[in-house]
Amino acid sequence: MSVLESLMQPGSFDLVLNIGGIVLKIAIVIAVAMFHVAYATYFERKVIGHMQVRMGPMEVGPHGLLQPVADMVKLFFKEDIVPTNADKPVFYLAPIISLTAALSSLAVIPFFDGFVIANINIGLLFILAVSSVGTYGIILAGWASSSKYSFLGSLRSAAQVISYEVAMGLSLVGVIMMAGSLNLTDIVRAQADYPTGMFAIPQILGFFVFVVAAVAETNRSPFDLPEAENELVAGYFVEYSGMRFALFYAAEYIGMMIMGSLAVTCFLGGWTIPHFITSVLPFLEYVPGIVWFLLKLYFTIFFYYWIRATLPRYRYDQLMAIGWKLLIPLALLNILITGIIKVAVN
Amino acid sequence: MTLKELIKKVFFIEIVKGMALTLSRFFTKPVTRRYPKEKRPAVLGFRGLHALVRNPATGDAKCVGCGLCAAICPSRCINVYTSEGSEHQKVVDRYEIEVLRCVYCALCVEACPYGAISLTPHYEYADYSRDAIYMTKEKLLENWDKYMGEDGFRYFDTFWNPKETHYKTPKDQAMFKGRIIGGFSG
Repeated sequence: MSVLESLMQPGSFDLVLNIGGIVLKIAIVIAVAMFHVAYATYFERKVIGHMQVRMGPMEVGPHGLLQPVADMVKLFFKEDIVPTNADKPVFYLAPIISLTAALSSLAVIPFFDGFVIANINIGLLFILAVSSVGTYGIILAGWASSSKYSFLGSLRSAAQVISYEVAMGLSLVGVIMMAGSLNLTDIVRAQADYPTGMFAIPQILGFFVFVVAAVAETNRSPFDLPEAENELVAGYFVEYSGMRFALFYAAEYIGMMIMGSLAVTCFLGGWTIPHFITSVLPFLEYVPGIVWFLLKLYFTIFFYYWIRATLPRYRYDQLMAIGWKLLIPLALLNILITGIIKVAVN
Repeated sequence: MTLKELIKKVFFIEIVKGMALTLSRFFTKPVTRRYPKEKRPAVLGFRGLHALVRNPATGDAKCVGCGLCAAICPSRCINVYTSEGSEHQKVVDRYEIEVLRCVYCALCVEACPYGAISLTPHYEYADYSRDAIYMTKEKLLENWDKYMGEDGFRYFDTFWNPKETHYKTPKDQAMFKGRIIGGFSG
């Protein structure tokens, strides 16, 4: 039976509609995510500028609002340079792996009630797995560039992401224990039923560990050792230019958004607001869920910028010490406390 | 390690303090001056573009062509060419300053016994060719009119203390380092 014939079968129209709906959802999510990436760079410069009593971009458009457009046009028309000794296929593949891994995490995040591209029952595990795949992009980029700076940057990134993934996974175990599910939608629903409306309050230790690990996981300041400018020029993407560089850049910002969304869905109550607020201000129930989700997400992204404007980079041994000697014991303690309370209550 | 130190370390108290500071700065007004749009006036006595002082009596430069400015100039950017006039006086044919080589030390202004050369507060004279910035006598006189204007002498006297005004040369002495008469007048 050919594809065309199978489409003629009764009921297949629903299938086509279903696939079309998913493709439409994907298109919307990717478009919105890319728009957010562009303006995340703008607001990063703006927020850090104002925190340093500067102005940030001001020249392109009113208050520099068209700066991301100018940057995109510039990157698009830049010369694409590939080093002579580079491992060409791997060099071409690395940024694509990085961006694809980052984008595919968006598939399981529930942006508001019922809007999730793939409502799979191991959503949390999927995100953790895919964010590790993103590290391959970084390692391969460093390897393929045949530059010592790139390679050192990618090695650092690998070590860092492996160390902090442990702490991050353990910090989420507390949430999984409370929600009893790995599905992100279920986790949000469990939070809505919880008296405080979010898991950040009972899981304060886990939330703290998660926030620090998320910063390290996305290679952001103060844990931006993989791209330590003053030691490694730019780290793993030194040799990349033009659109390939833009792909890495987009992957980094989408990574930030994924970690922000994960914090929102697992700890801050996703698209819901706590019951004690709606009981005082009942009209807030009519605000669509996506608004709360985005407000929380913007706060987490602002937090990334805020940390970057405040802290200098950690030394490598300090980074490892925080990961292994502080965050992992704290996360284990959190699991223990959660388990004891859960057993005691039941 | 005491309990206090442990809490300080575990909860990153110092970092929280730092973040409170950056957040408070986030809501203050930026100190940036957006230069081409917002120009800051040069402070008095600013060493900007050169000018030859125009003598209001004759309408020509005050310069007599003694060449002391060229002699003292550490970057050797001043060239003075003179010839003998009909009454055996010195005539300044060409007075040229290669501005691109100037280090703005203002030693020429200090050296001039007649207060004939000045640095103006004008500093925006970048151009696309070297010739446009190469200063001839005519251009230097024009600079005086443009950038020092009518109030130029008061400004010049106050901030450059030309020897002409503030020092008097003994009649029997061919040197310009004299004693101060009446101190500095503002």
